[in-house]
Amino acid sequence: MSAEMEQLYRQRLERYTAAMRNEKPDRVPIRPFVAEFTAKYAGYTAQEVTQDYEKAFAAARKCAADFDWDAVVGNMVYVWSGLTQAIGLKYYAVPGVELPPDTGFQYLEPPEDDAWMQPDEYDLLIEDPTGYLFNVWLPRVSDDVSAMGEPTSLRNNLSLLKGGMAMWQYFGAFGTQAARLRTESGTVSAICGILKAPFDIIADKLRGYKGLCMDMFRRPEKVLAACEAMMPHLLHVAASGADPDRNVPVGLWMHRGCVPFLSPEQFERFYWPTLKQIIEGLHAQEIQTLFYAEGEWNANLKHIADLPELSIIFHVDRSDIFEVHETVGHKFCLSGGIPNDLLAFGTPDDVRDYCKRVIDGVARDGGYIMDASAIMQNDTKVENIKAMTEFTREYGVY
Amino acid sequence: MPEEHKPKREPGVCIPWEEKRKELPKITGDEQLVKRVWEEVDGLAYVYIWQCLLSF
Repeated sequence: MSAEMEQLYRQRLERYTAAMRNEKPDRVPIRPFVAEFTAKYAGYTAQEVTQDYEKAFAAARKCAADFDWDAVVGNMVYVWSGLTQAIGLKYYAVPGVELPPDTGFQYLEPPEDDAWMQPDEYDLLIEDPTGYLFNVWLPRVSDDVSAMGEPTSLRNNLSLLKGGMAMWQYFGAFGTQAARLRTESGTVSAICGILKAPFDIIADKLRGYKGLCMDMFRRPEKVLAACEAMMPHLLHVAASGADPDRNVPVGLWMHRGCVPFLSPEQFERFYWPTLKQIIEGLHAQEIQTLFYAEGEWNANLKHIADLPELSIIFHVDRSDIFEVHETVGHKFCLSGGIPNDLLAFGTPDDVRDYCKRVIDGVARDGGYIMDASAIMQNDTKVENIKAMTEFTREYGVY
Repeated sequence: MPEEHKPKREPGVCIPWEEKRKELPKITGDEQLVKRVWEEVDGLAYVYIWQCLLSF
């Protein structure tokens, strides 16, 4: 790596981490979360970047270099279908297979009666989450893995072998990707590790959203106990995958904790207590959490404000970013807040105007990272991304 | 974490060393080495299932 590129990387890392410490860097860092947009920009289909992760990595590197961003994720089209196909996972619709080649992959949530976890299985999950996942959940979500007590098969054995080797290969490739981003364009890898709220993961992958909503009324104590049982495992997975240098945060992808999915009372009782403990547990290990608040979270800000100072970076999707700044901006860095529909359907002038409002409103004292509200897919216009990037680079200087 | 929810299998563990150790004959060499390697590789299986749940 050239000395100039390393210097650029260091400068960007300092800019990014200073903002995340709620300090004022030399200028507003730019860290766009771009998924299928990268394919569109680099000339690939959604199918190509979903099925061939080397193309996805190449597209991410091209965007990072051409737009000169401070930090990116090595591959936001995270679900590599080579891996999901090897395991035989039933819950994905893949571009070029079940979907048109230029539609992003989709998650298929089963009907309530066919949920991956049945309501009478809470005690099994609570007693031994890891055992439940291996013995009950995996055979149920895979076309190939045999259920306990059923005859094994070649497909069963191959699923476990291919799935394990594919995961090893894919995760290893992220290390190479991070090194290439650093040496080829001086770009920082924006996050490291993964976290989901216990309630979200039970909704997403076990009971389904509708099933879990019913469970909150029919068996609330089981739901609470299941969240408690999942908590230490989710903390462990997040901490063990975190940046050993403690520079960049763990990504927390929150799906259905906000209004209208949960009322504020349900959030306070079911969603928040265990997630809060995990975030505090990470903070105790000097790990920040990228609090990716998909949806509108203003109703829950008073709880979020209770988190330890600097424990999170609050990513704004549909929340009112100015209210978020007023309520928690003194404790946490903010990111995002540029609406995706504006980036998809607006003009570059519209984008510049909006970015100016956000920078003026929340970034004057530092502690802000420029990004769209949600992960950008291939409806995002290239000229609007350019406008967001160039305006921030010029206007966001301190 | 409340004691009543202490998990049967600790985070990071699929088959605890103590369980595996009972299957082995007398270890003539460095038992800590055998234990460490067992736990490291066992941890990969833990990563596998939890990453299947969380990431894929």
